[in-house]
Amino acid sequence: MSGNAAVASAIFGVFMLLTVALGLLAVRGHGRGGGLTEWSVGGRSLGTVFIWVLMAGEGYTSFSYLGAAGWGYNYGAPVLYVVAYLSCGYAIGYVVGPTLWAYARRHGLVSITDMVAHRYGKPWAGALVAVLATVCLLPYIQLQITGMGVVVSTISYGAISLNWAYFIAFAVTTTFVVVSGLRGSAWVSVLKDVLVIGTLGFLAGYVPLHYFGGYGPFLDRMVAEKPDWLTFSGHGGSGMAGGWFVTTSFLNSLTVVIFPTTVAGYLGARSADALRRNAMLLPFYNVLLFVPMLLGMAAIFVVPGLTGAGSNLALFKLVVDSLPAWAVGVIGVAGALSSIVPMAVFMLVIGTMWGRSVLGAIPRLAERPERQKTAAQVVVVGAGALALLLTYTAPNTLVRLSLISYEGMAQLVPMILLGLMWRRLTLWGALSGLVVGGTLVCALVFTGHDPVWGVNAGALALVANVLVALAVSWWGPRPGAAEAARPDDEVLARDPGRDPEGDGAPAGAAVSGRG
Amino acid sequence: MLKKRPHLLWLLAPYALYLVALPLVDRPFLFFWLLLATLLTPVAVFLAWRGDRARG
Repeated sequence: MSGNAAVASAIFGVFMLLTVALGLLAVRGHGRGGGLTEWSVGGRSLGTVFIWVLMAGEGYTSFSYLGAAGWGYNYGAPVLYVVAYLSCGYAIGYVVGPTLWAYARRHGLVSITDMVAHRYGKPWAGALVAVLATVCLLPYIQLQITGMGVVVSTISYGAISLNWAYFIAFAVTTTFVVVSGLRGSAWVSVLKDVLVIGTLGFLAGYVPLHYFGGYGPFLDRMVAEKPDWLTFSGHGGSGMAGGWFVTTSFLNSLTVVIFPTTVAGYLGARSADALRRNAMLLPFYNVLLFVPMLLGMAAIFVVPGLTGAGSNLALFKLVVDSLPAWAVGVIGVAGALSSIVPMAVFMLVIGTMWGRSVLGAIPRLAERPERQKTAAQVVVVGAGALALLLTYTAPNTLVRLSLISYEGMAQLVPMILLGLMWRRLTLWGALSGLVVGGTLVCALVFTGHDPVWGVNAGALALVANVLVALAVSWWGPRPGAAEAARPDDEVLARDPGRDPEGDGAPAGAAVSGRG
Repeated sequence: MLKKRPHLLWLLAPYALYLVALPLVDRPFLFFWLLLATLLTPVAVFLAWRGDRARG
């Protein structure tokens, strides 16, 4: 290992130890005997600041840090969909967040699978959603492992191979999430946000100045030499024109509000107002997303010739090329934490969904809530290992992996969002729509027909999903007498209004209910 | 819900800025429009929140 590699790797190693230590410190006094609710939703006690850093941390992942730069490098303008869907999603989260928070608090629920089981009165429906959501989330965990692997390998100046780097990413994150839960992720998010804002702010000024003499000459050169990158459909006839941009941004903005990790953030909040204030503050974080996109385009001139998944390296190639080893180490830590925090929350959510909705259906576990937490932690390790295996066997570009995740998860939007707002949507209607939408999206994505007719394949599948769900609800089998007898207040979700305790539930009532 | 809380229509403003206006703008200006939309999104959410506060 060269001197540069030793310096950068040492800085990285110290920060990784600090991350796990922070996770342990965060749960001191909370973790022991806290059960699944403490581990999975932080005991529903996180205030505006922690919720902001946690949810911003989920939105700003290695996908944003590396994938956005990679797509900026490969295609240009189409990558702007990331900013569009996050901003629109945060805006409608102003209504959806408090509504889901109040519903979960009122009925003692800790995940979207709990909500589905409660809404339709069928525990097996929750288990089914847990399995489907896990399948959709695995590519996202794979994405984070890939991202962190790229960072670790790059900042070691190649001394650590990509395959070993992937394993290090898996090991650090799994250890972190098992010991610290959601509260630990929120604490580490603070460290991560400070580093990300600091390093990106620095790079935003430094890179254009160092390589081009400033933004003016850089943009002049882009307009003169690479105009394809600045308009839809981007460089290289990607097929991602205005229609694709609109449908992808719209689909993802709906999906992000029911994404299991977003919902974990909602449910961890202390009050509905914390979420409303959060919805105002979160879009500001999106301004940072412009930096990796622009730096990805700057990399076209500095490190030409990166292709396919290699474009994920665009930003870090610039960093290694132009900065001393200690700075490479610090920026590497920011990139790695951008993987660890979201990956931890993803694994945590999978563990929670399985611990409650799938394994919780086993009588021996259902009677022993403390065992559900242990079972959930075992699932976390299993899910991480499976994603690691996928990383080795089916590598892909970071953005491609994200799109697959979102297009799959989008098919749950009618079942969850529409179902919680509209009583007449039946379980059979929701399931029929899910089957049609899921089948269609798989058929289109895995046969290479995405985008199809210039629009996002997931959006097309979602339209079919909703139409089938409505038709079957209208003309299909009616719910049984017991289900029909449940009052609307029991079944549907509604905005909690001003009441800080959410629909008048006594503080902590939901926390001790089933957790 | 919109009958009682018409101010929530502000939450649709980002959709108009990003999904309606942006492709029209395209037909580097695109980046500046996007930056403007990103800075206006918190303002739209703030206006919705202010409407909620006014109604308690």
